[in-house]
Order: sequence, then C-alpha cells, then structure tokens
Amino acid sequence: MSTAMGPDWKALAAAQKIEIDDKQRERLEALAKTMLGLRGMIDWSEEPAISFRVDPIEEAGQ
Amino acid sequence: MTALGAAAALRARQISSLELTLGCLARIERLNPQLNAFVTVTAELAIEQAKRADGELAEGLDRGPLHGIPVAHKDLLCTNGVLTTSGSKIFANYVPNFDAAVVDNLHRAGAVMLGKTGLHEHAYGITSTNPHFGAIRNPWDPERIPGGSSGGSAVAVATGMALLATGSDTGGSIRVPASYCGVTGLKPTFGRVSKFGALPLGFTLDHIGPIARTVRDTAAALRVMAGFDARDTASVDRPVPEYMPPAGELLLAGVKIGIPQNFFFENLDQTVDNAVHFMAYTAEDLGAELVSFRVPDGRQLNVIAQVTLLAEAASVHEPYLRRRRMEYGDDVRALLDMGRLIPATDYLQAQRLRRRILGVYLGLLQKVDCLLVPATPVAAPLIGQSEVAIGEAMEDTRLAATRLVRGFNALGLPVLSMPAGFSPAGLPIGCQLVGRPWCEAELLRIGAALEDRTELWKRESPYQT
Repeated sequence: MSTAMGPDWKALAAAQKIEIDDKQRERLEALAKTMLGLRGMIDWSEEPAISFRVDPIEEAGQ
Repeated sequence: MTALGAAAALRARQISSLELTLGCLARIERLNPQLNAFVTVTAELAIEQAKRADGELAEGLDRGPLHGIPVAHKDLLCTNGVLTTSGSKIFANYVPNFDAAVVDNLHRAGAVMLGKTGLHEHAYGITSTNPHFGAIRNPWDPERIPGGSSGGSAVAVATGMALLATGSDTGGSIRVPASYCGVTGLKPTFGRVSKFGALPLGFTLDHIGPIARTVRDTAAALRVMAGFDARDTASVDRPVPEYMPPAGELLLAGVKIGIPQNFFFENLDQTVDNAVHFMAYTAEDLGAELVSFRVPDGRQLNVIAQVTLLAEAASVHEPYLRRRRMEYGDDVRALLDMGRLIPATDYLQAQRLRRRILGVYLGLLQKVDCLLVPATPVAAPLIGQSEVAIGEAMEDTRLAATRLVRGFNALGLPVLSMPAGFSPAGLPIGCQLVGRPWCEAELLRIGAALEDRTELWKRESPYQT
C-alpha cells in the first residue's frame, strides 16, 4: 500500500470505493510531503489538546 | 450609489426605501439574465419590507444606517421560507424555517432583502462557474469569472443590483470576488460574526462578512452583522465597537504598515505588484510608515489550510457524498474525495501548526498596525480557463487565486480586501489589509483613508451605468 513517495493513494482510494485521477494523486502526494516536512516545526512539548481550545486567538490577541 | 449615500438620501426625504428597492429590482431584471448574480429574487417580500421601512421612518422609528437599504444574501445563508440552495443540487429544494444570524441581524436593522445570490457549488471553489445554475459573469468583462465563492454577491454590489451583500470566506471566498469585481469585502476575526445558519464547509475556517462598494459601507454592515451568538460555538462574547471611520480627511500619521519582503510579492503579474505598491506609497503620503520584514513561508501555511479544509469539508459532506455522489459537480466531488484520504494525523498536526504560525504572525503584528499585501496575483481569468500565465510561468487558476488569501483563514485574522487599481485591460486589482485579532476598526480606518485619497471605488463597471 505504499511507494517510495509515500502511500499508494490510488489503492487507498479504491479501498474506499472511489477513484482518483493522476492530478488528485499528485496533489495528495505534495500535501503529504509538505506535512511531513512541517513536523519539524511542531512543539512536541506542547499539550496537544490545546489545539482544540475553542478560541485560542482571543487570548493571543489580548 | 453607496449604501450610506442612500441612507442619507432616505433621511433627507429625497428618496424612499420603496424607490431604492424598485430601482434595484429593475436593475436585477435587466442585468441578471446577462450576469447571473441572483439565484432567487424575493421581489414581493422586498417591496413589503421597503414599505414597512418607509412607514417606520415616517413614524420616527429609525433602526440605523441600514434601515430601508436593499441587500442581497449569499445563497448558503438560511432564510426563513426562502429557498437556500448552497449553489447545489443537494439543497436545490431546501427551504429553511429559520433565518441565519446575519440575515436576522440585518432584518432587525431594517435592511430590505432583495434575494439570494449565486455561488460556487457549496462555496467550495473560486470560479463561481456553477454546474447547476450556470456561470456567474464578471461585470467588468462578462467572459471572465467574478471570483468565488461569493461571486453573485460581489457582482450584485459591483453593478448596483444590491447596495450591500453578505458573503462567506473559507479560503478567500469574500476577498477573491471583491478583488476581481472591484468592490470591498471584509473577512472578520474568527468568532466576530456568527456562523449560525450558514451551511458549513470548513467549520474552523468559515467566516461570514460583508461585501460593499466602499469601506464605510463595509463598516456599517459589520456593525450590524457582528456580535456574540451562543448558537455558534466559535462565537466570542466581546463588545462590538463602533467601526465607522471618522468623517473628513483621515491621515495615517503614527500608523505602521508592514510590507512583507517574501512570498506575497513573489510571482505576481507586474500590474498587480504596481497597484499594491501604489497603495503603499499612498499610505506613506498620508503619513504612514512602511516597514519591510519577512513573514513565515506562505506556501507552508497554505498546505496547512488546504489539509484542514479538505478534511473538514469531506467530514461535513460525508452523508450526502455517500448517498448522492453524482449530484455533485466534478470539481467539488474531486475535492471531497481527496478529503476522505487525508490522514487523521496530518489533520491533527495541521491544527498544531496553525497555532504555532499564528503565534509568529501575532508577534509581527505587535510591530506594525497591519500588513498590506495583494489579494490575487492576477486579475480575473476567463471563464473555463484552467491555468493562468504569471510572468513566464503557468499556474492552476484555482491555486493561483487562493494562494495569497487562504492562509489567513487558518489564522483567523481580520482581513479587508479593497480596490488597489486596474489592469491595462480595465480589470480591477485588489489588495488586502491584514490586522490584529478584533482590530477591524483599525483596518477600516486605514482602508477609508486610502479609499478617500484614491477614490478607486468611484470607477464604474460597464454594467453599473
């Protein structure tokens, strides 16, 4: 189910009984690759559930 | 005519709400067959509301600056007893039995509802070329898209079919059509305007806001639309300030405007670059200080926003997508299918990352009062054009249109989109003023100063006259 570039997106889609074309596959690959790279920016010491606080912007904007 | 100009004429008894409303309805009858801005026109209801507004004013009951002003609502905002399609076949026959919060707020403020404006199907796209209702056309060149997804609202305002309109913005859907159609639009701070009764797309990205001819009209509309609403879990209980910029000449002494050195001014059509810099120099001439700095990589922020939207939209549409799959247009179905494949871990990490990048932006916005950036890298593309040329490179039309606007949905910051100039072909070019959370009033004041000096809003589309 995976390739050197990450998951086999077409196979994953087929498992959900949908078909994706090459353009969709390329976009999913690009998104996944960038997200993988962005993991370096995550503060792993931060409480992860804080992302689900309803209004983080309010306190930050005070 | 602007909404506030009409409001002044109403109070001077130079015109009635009924006359304003009949004027808009006549314009809709004449222009809508060509531009396709409206899905539903509620003429009888509008006339009834206009007569009531006139009666109340005659009796001394004045509900404020929007009393008697004809407005249009994007057709994903629920309207009691009036068809609400979301530009889709799925909701083609949906008639809600309640009003969305902003519809109710505008009604209570005395505004007259003209009808419902067309949009990109389910608000999931920027062309407003709708497979079920046809293409909405740009009034500056009807062979071009008006932008989307709030395309009908922007066209209605740009042509005087309505004096104000509502829009929604999940990835630029107020700001892109405002830019392409030469009008003003505001995406408020997330939580500032209630989303209750707006059919959702990306529930952590959706924002409701006004589209208007001028910055001051935008301020008047925001004052009415904003406010806490317990029915919207994202709504924030903060006082609604006065947004209206002061009358008279506005100067920008003491105002610091940030001009990003990276990302926002890369890969732009030269005329867009020139127009936005013209606005920057105008601000400087009004006394503002221009400050150059670097911002976090916008491409990364766009990916975070895209991953979030793909997953959230697929989640929202899952029950319909499974049972009524072929009732979606090809482009929207393709996006929803992609959303079903986004890994849960990517979605969750995107939420952690957007919080982190927001922190960086809030730090930058401590140093300046706002950022000034382009809204779109090129003026409005042709209907059906899948790629646009930017310099010597070709770029996907949809990704190009959203790359300068999308990230601010993930950050929840307030953004004002307003005219910055025109291309040599006479097409509008827009810019964005990006502010600190809850500081819409400051954005509107800066925008009004620029608008008063440039007077770009006064240039009329061929369909306006």
